[in-house]
Amino acid sequence: MAKKWVLCFMVVLMAASLLAACTSNNSGSNGNKGNNGANAEQSPSPAATVKAEIAPEAPMLAELVKAGTLKPVEERMPVKEDIMIEPVFEEIGQYGGEWNFPWNGPDDKWGISMATEEAMFRFKEDGTSVEPNVAKGYDVNADATEYKIYLRQGMKWSDGVPFTADDVIFYWEHMLIPETFGKALYDCYYSVNPVTGEKTRAEIVKVDDYTVKVTFKDPSVLFLERLAIDNKWFFAPAHYYKTILPEFIGEEAALAKAKEYGFEDLKNFGIWTGYYYWLYPQRPTLRAWVAKNDMNSDRFIMERNPYYFKTDSEGQQLPYMDRIVLTKMQDKSHKLLETMAGHVEVGSFDFTDYTVLKENEAKGNYRVIPWSTPNWSSTGVQLNQTTEDPKLRALFQDIRFREALSLAADRKEISEIITNGLGEASQASIQKGLPNYQEGWSNQWTAYDTDGAAKLLDEIGLKWDAAHKYRTFADGSDLTLTIYREDPSDNEKFIELIRKYYEGVGLKTDVKIVDQGSFFDLKYANKIPVTVKTVSVLNVAFRPDELVPLRVITPWFGHYGLYTSSQGKEGVKPEGDVAKILEDWDKLKAAKTKEEVQKWTDDIIKLHQKNQWVIGYTAPTPGLVVARNDVRNVPSLIASDETRYIGHAHPAQFFIKK
Amino acid sequence: MLRYMLRRTLIMVPVTLFVSMIVFIIIQLPPGDFVSGYAAKMATSGEIMDEQAMALLRESYGLDKPWYVQYFTWIIGILTEGDFGYSLSYNRPVSDIIGQYMGITIIVSLVSMVFTYVVAIPIGILSAVKQYSFFDYLATGFGFLGMATPNFLLAIILMFISFQWWGDPMLGLFSAEFTDAPWTAAKWMDLFKHMIIPVIVIGTSNTCELIRVMRGQMLDEMTKPHILTARAKGLPEWRILLKYSARAAINPIVSTIGWSLTTIFTGSTITAIVLNLPTQGPVMHKALLSQDMYLAGSWLLLMAVFTLLGTLISDILLAWLDPRIRMTRKGT
Repeated sequence: MAKKWVLCFMVVLMAASLLAACTSNNSGSNGNKGNNGANAEQSPSPAATVKAEIAPEAPMLAELVKAGTLKPVEERMPVKEDIMIEPVFEEIGQYGGEWNFPWNGPDDKWGISMATEEAMFRFKEDGTSVEPNVAKGYDVNADATEYKIYLRQGMKWSDGVPFTADDVIFYWEHMLIPETFGKALYDCYYSVNPVTGEKTRAEIVKVDDYTVKVTFKDPSVLFLERLAIDNKWFFAPAHYYKTILPEFIGEEAALAKAKEYGFEDLKNFGIWTGYYYWLYPQRPTLRAWVAKNDMNSDRFIMERNPYYFKTDSEGQQLPYMDRIVLTKMQDKSHKLLETMAGHVEVGSFDFTDYTVLKENEAKGNYRVIPWSTPNWSSTGVQLNQTTEDPKLRALFQDIRFREALSLAADRKEISEIITNGLGEASQASIQKGLPNYQEGWSNQWTAYDTDGAAKLLDEIGLKWDAAHKYRTFADGSDLTLTIYREDPSDNEKFIELIRKYYEGVGLKTDVKIVDQGSFFDLKYANKIPVTVKTVSVLNVAFRPDELVPLRVITPWFGHYGLYTSSQGKEGVKPEGDVAKILEDWDKLKAAKTKEEVQKWTDDIIKLHQKNQWVIGYTAPTPGLVVARNDVRNVPSLIASDETRYIGHAHPAQFFIKK
Repeated sequence: MLRYMLRRTLIMVPVTLFVSMIVFIIIQLPPGDFVSGYAAKMATSGEIMDEQAMALLRESYGLDKPWYVQYFTWIIGILTEGDFGYSLSYNRPVSDIIGQYMGITIIVSLVSMVFTYVVAIPIGILSAVKQYSFFDYLATGFGFLGMATPNFLLAIILMFISFQWWGDPMLGLFSAEFTDAPWTAAKWMDLFKHMIIPVIVIGTSNTCELIRVMRGQMLDEMTKPHILTARAKGLPEWRILLKYSARAAINPIVSTIGWSLTTIFTGSTITAIVLNLPTQGPVMHKALLSQDMYLAGSWLLLMAVFTLLGTLISDILLAWLDPRIRMTRKGT
């Protein structure tokens, strides 16, 4: 009888494992079937687009028009001359399909924002200047004090309400100035007096329904570029905000509205609906895809905007893809897995995933497209020039010490170990092809010369301890470089490697691991002496934060930034070349011509080259865009925050080729 | 008995309050607060928040007040209105978020629990009956392996196998086409397919433990005199096993069943993150990391309440199942 038991059990176990295997097997093939099914459904559209005359709109919208629930495409778009024609990168596309876009939930809001953003003025392909996007065009007077921005006639919000100059003026008067969404009025709206340095706010008025005029007291030559960075959406749907802003409906009714949206207070309600607006289906936008459901769902859906204002050169209304589906992933490795399984149409990755993505390229049926980055290096070190300890601060401010650190490391070895040889041995510097490029900079102090480093350290006056193992300060006190590692973003391997080199020339190192939030707090408190951060700057004139100490943000200038942002009340007073950078920046802001701007940015960069506050060991590695092989029109461009990463590739013209 | 239950229930109230306060303090112990973490997160995606913006957020969330003010506002809200507060990272009431994930969490936990008991109890009995047989060694071997292997590692291995063989890592609980679909038979099928890996992973660690417990207890029970008597009287072996030995042996399992209550409502955490399951675990993990203290606090508070309730239920169940315990209770 006992035998029977065993037998029964074995049979049950085997059956169970078989069943498990079978069902999972099915799921695999089901998944495929699902895909095929979807393809089959969409196949009529390419046939229609290729054979008959070009269809001016997506089949899913054509159906709605036929059913009478949507107006015909001509009535939904701007007047013919004002329609924006979006050039395609490879070929005219076909309608249909979904873009699977794994995200981490609403914390990841910027990723999807950038992919769908429509700026008033956007960066051109090379990232050096801007072109009209939502705006149809602009005029500027000779001394750059008056900008006329022209809008597109007949353009509409995603709910069909006309988009006019009133929406720009409304945004300015009722949202930007009263700061309804938690941001102080952006810097781009101020002009600076060249003599007194006084900041004056711009005047913005409506000229007619499709023209607004921005007037500055003093010249503001970079207004459009800075607008494209500071406040790309220089407009808001007045008809929507009039139904939720307390200014229009009163505090009480607004609070009731906030509760409806799930908020408990008006401030956060204002921030989320005013600033992170693309996540709300209620809020009309001008984007190619608009939110359709709750952003906290397991799948957040954005669907094509029937009123989108762009077509391809054949007159087909964009976007090509029907929907963006944002599936919530707990961990970023899930996105990698899904991409490797071929489930993600287009995705962006860090260079750290390069090897695993390349290995699975054929199997996952995708291609890895490298994008250049405006980073100065892929590995490097920043010494806080205002670090608390006075002896350490003097040492960090000594240019010879920075040179010694630069000479102490074997760049070739770092390149091989950390970047697979893809980031060449190099100093932190501006890459060729970017604005303010300086010939020869990338070779400054790049030799691997420990003797030279030792000599420099001797010159500075650093002594050895009794065991002749570590260097000490001239007075014999302990010298330790404490490197702070921000978890998980900083490269652990690189820190271990660099510690080896520094210890090799007798500099004692220590590492502290902190999470993102603590790192942020410590930086503000000026408690971080050494970090392994690099800087990323497309053009210092557009976004100076990382190179000019305007506020606490980049580790190398520490509390110099606080001194500027608090107008001298707190922080450390900049001296020497750092003070010169700030002077240059002030002159740049008051510049009257673009040539002047160029001159001052060159000056700032040359000061950086001379001082090398940001030390680099290897040249930047590319950012990675992964596109499934059937997805077309995905170019290789420059990946930077200023140009909005994947958004720079104009995703409205991505399409799935059948 | 009734008095005992009443007393136990009353003691639970101060314990719960005490736990809630400790929980609230511990969540806020790490340096920084929700806003600094949030600002750092936004900084990595290019949004720069200055001091002013951060101060505004702190004020609107009430983070500028001392912890005891925050705590009492929260606890009084729970006691008077059943309002568990407001999640800072989701910008929604806590009860909404817990509600959103509750259904799936309970389903996954219950199925894995059933899996555990259905597999563990028979194997435990069998390996006791056939002590030192090949089957016993096999079960013991697997048992120790299962106990020693961390759940998440097992999850990764199974995902890897699934990815290698079928090209699909089987993340989540639904295929893409079913996530938003209404609850049809096909959707249920899809759900069960996706539940195979999580259930095996979540179930095994407990399974192995239970096998060991069951086996040990059975070995103890099977040699007791009343079993010998039953056998001497000629009762069929299976009846002796099930009616006498197993009933007594199941005692320690029942006494811990109440503790599973917590697991049922909270689900597993690391495994759920690895497998991308839309359950409570990962949500709470994130809440703890980002110091979203009302969400994290409510969750830990619920866990505490469920643990207390579970213990109570276990005691009652035991008293009902085991006459010996009932007798002593009556005596007191």
